Amino acid sequence: MFQVNNLTFKYPKNKDNTIKGISFSIKDGEIFGLLGPSGVGKSTTQRILIKLLDKYSGEILYKGKDLKSYGKQYYQEIGVGFEMPVHFSKLTALENLNFFKKLYRSPADIDKLLTLVGLDEDRNKKISEYSKGMKVRLNFVRALLNNPQMLFLDEPTNGLDPKNARIIKNMILEFKNNGGTILLTTHLMNDVDELCDRVAFMAQGQIKEIDTPKNLKLKHGQRKVAVEYKDEVIKTDSFDLDSLSTNEAFFNIIKTKKIITIHSGETNLDDIFIKVTGVENNA
Amino acid sequence: MHNFIVLLLGEIERMKKYGILAASLALSLIWIGVLHFTEIQDVTAFFPFLIFIDTTSMAILLVGATMFYEKQEGTIKSLLVSPISKSDYILAKTCANILSNLETLAILYLYALFFKEININIIGLLGAVILISFFHSLIGFLLTYHSRDFTELLMGMVKYAFIFMVPVILEQTGLIKNLLAKKLLYLIPTKSSLTLLQATTRNFANWELFLSLLYLLLGSSLLFLFVRLKFDEYAVKGGGV
Repeated sequence: MFQVNNLTFKYPKNKDNTIKGISFSIKDGEIFGLLGPSGVGKSTTQRILIKLLDKYSGEILYKGKDLKSYGKQYYQEIGVGFEMPVHFSKLTALENLNFFKKLYRSPADIDKLLTLVGLDEDRNKKISEYSKGMKVRLNFVRALLNNPQMLFLDEPTNGLDPKNARIIKNMILEFKNNGGTILLTTHLMNDVDELCDRVAFMAQGQIKEIDTPKNLKLKHGQRKVAVEYKDEVIKTDSFDLDSLSTNEAFFNIIKTKKIITIHSGETNLDDIFIKVTGVENNA
Repeated sequence: MHNFIVLLLGEIERMKKYGILAASLALSLIWIGVLHFTEIQDVTAFFPFLIFIDTTSMAILLVGATMFYEKQEGTIKSLLVSPISKSDYILAKTCANILSNLETLAILYLYALFFKEININIIGLLGAVILISFFHSLIGFLLTYHSRDFTELLMGMVKYAFIFMVPVILEQTGLIKNLLAKKLLYLIPTKSSLTLLQATTRNFANWELFLSLLYLLLGSSLLFLFVRLKFDEYAVKGGGV
């Protein structure tokens, strides 16, 4: 869907480049996560891909064609879900959606979307009466309003309770299963783990790591198994994963002791985030 | 064209919902009060001055008000990722403004017609208001591009009034008599604006009318191109995208 080659960008008033020669691809039908701490260029990259910034160097191909060759019709094909509310506060949800819907050639079914995100009964409420979570869900509906092929989502579950976050995540997966492609930006590593096929970690305007969450965990984890067991007192022993099948000590514990827990040394995305970007994930 | 109409209707709906049209209407009532409490029965000569102040200043303010609402509520971002062109966006706002100015004109004219005496070329006045409102809406865009908030826009509007509107009014009321100063006024758009409005009530030399018309038509075209050119910069900086 996207092929980005040696992308570099500098804001006019900045001394240094915000994006420093990054390259990556987003395949058709995948969920690609763009991760990293604030200020490393994630949002700038997304702004370039949604054609809000155009004075970049390098090459971006969308469906094999230079992104710069696409006009406003590009927005018939993509949907953008912003993190912050983007609706007219003195209009109702339905008035907002109806206004934007008329700008598209093949609009989605508003009733169905509002029902799916649980806003059906609040459709005639003004946005100023909406809670933060309701606004986040409405942002998601706005992003899907034109039945897009490509979806850009910025923190789509931020501010949602677990039940509504689950609904949005299921809708994202359903969008993918129907052939859609997604670029996801989020700080919530659980969402990344659950949704993303591949992720790129950004730091200082560069991509530091790019792979599937599974491979990253294997790469950055330790190939060890920690066994916690009871032997008069509670003990923990660690064994090398690669020689586990021939490790007598390990089998002896398994056979003779009361096992409390067994953990592989696989790491989690939070730890990889800190390790790769050098910054705590504070979100 | 389709999306321009959608945007225009959306602008008008929001001007209603956000009370911008109501504020414009309230101002019309103030102008009616001004007309009512003047002792003058025949308001023909006075009428263009009221329309001049309303069309120039309100056009600037209304554009600014709607754009600051969009910035504040983040809706500018949503518009920027919609299949609309910059021209559609700019023209929808200016046309909505023109309609608001025409509403004020209609209210004041009807009042003057029924309760005072007025002898005016209404068709000419309609044309003049459309052109002046269009030009000043674009001035409103430029001032909004360079203002951080609505207060700064108001300050910009006050500066514009002092520099461009007051001298023209002073000249018309006979307070500026110096010939060179009078000639210099032809350099500013408000002189052309007032000339076109006054031409609907009394005779002007053909060259003066032609010059004013040419100034505003050419000025509007160049201003439109400039506003369009600078829009991306505003979208990135002011729109917070």
